[in-house]
Amino acid sequence: MRFLKTLTLIAGLLCSFVASSTTVEMDVNGLVCAFCAQGIEKTLKKFPAAEGVFVSLERRLVAVALKQGADIDDHDLRDALTNAGYTVVAIRRSETSLDTLRNEGKPHD
Amino acid sequence: MTSKSRRAAIAVLVLLPCVAMGKPIAFAHGTTVMVERGAGTMNEAQVFYAPAYWWSVGVGALELNSEDGSKQRHVTYVRANLLAKRWNLPGAQANVFAWGGMGRATGNDFSGSTLARNAGVQADYETRRLYASLRSDLQESAHYSHRVDTVQLGWAPYAHDYDSLATWFVVQARRYSGDLVDGTETAFLIRFFKGNTWVEAGATRDGKLQAMAMFNF
Repeated sequence: MRFLKTLTLIAGLLCSFVASSTTVEMDVNGLVCAFCAQGIEKTLKKFPAAEGVFVSLERRLVAVALKQGADIDDHDLRDALTNAGYTVVAIRRSETSLDTLRNEGKPHD
Repeated sequence: MTSKSRRAAIAVLVLLPCVAMGKPIAFAHGTTVMVERGAGTMNEAQVFYAPAYWWSVGVGALELNSEDGSKQRHVTYVRANLLAKRWNLPGAQANVFAWGGMGRATGNDFSGSTLARNAGVQADYETRRLYASLRSDLQESAHYSHRVDTVQLGWAPYAHDYDSLATWFVVQARRYSGDLVDGTETAFLIRFFKGNTWVEAGATRDGKLQAMAMFNF
């Protein structure tokens, strides 16, 4: 019985590891208006590997959720943002979903 | 027609016959449509396409009227806009735009149509709470030379985000040269934008309506 429980736990951990997708978070300078966000969203959604895009003016953040097993090179992302007219200050990867990032920015009750 | 659709139709009619201090380039591969009704002295409509974030090209129509109604100009033009310089700062952006174009103009104090030339420059600085811009637009032909200089200062009561409505209170001062309007015309405007739409409306000190709308696709 204990063996079965351990096996289930390991399987669950493995599944969550496999299912978790990567999000690329970029700190961007020059983000001040909705039109900036609109242009960036339009540009990044063109990447076949992009599953979703989130832009936060408040946190000066642009995040791209990647499709399972897909990736976008940092250099390509930096180029895309530069060609959209903005300055990328930092790029990092996380397992944070776009929904979590969206909710982090909202005021708590 | 329902009262809701009637109100929407009236709003569109008020805004459409009437460009302004919006940016002439919104984003790469984007199309910008701007219309402005400027206090009885200018009406303008423009459509621009931006192949890259730093330039756009388009067409426009401008009507200029002197305060006393004695001079009227109708100009249609093609124009190229250039983002000459951009500063991307943490939480702020500053830009210098320049543009130039050519077209045809007619007027009520000369016959036929004439070749019209246009050139202008705009500098702006924007955070999510403060906005300032300076714009100078020169319209010239063999028969006239008019310059319209506009300064806008804006303040937002709260910092908006991408998914929320932005609200701005704007004070505008505008001077016309070439015997169109004496002195400085000042206006108080309220501006809203969300997603791809920007609308602003207000009035000059003597109660004349000014309105502008801009859409990006």
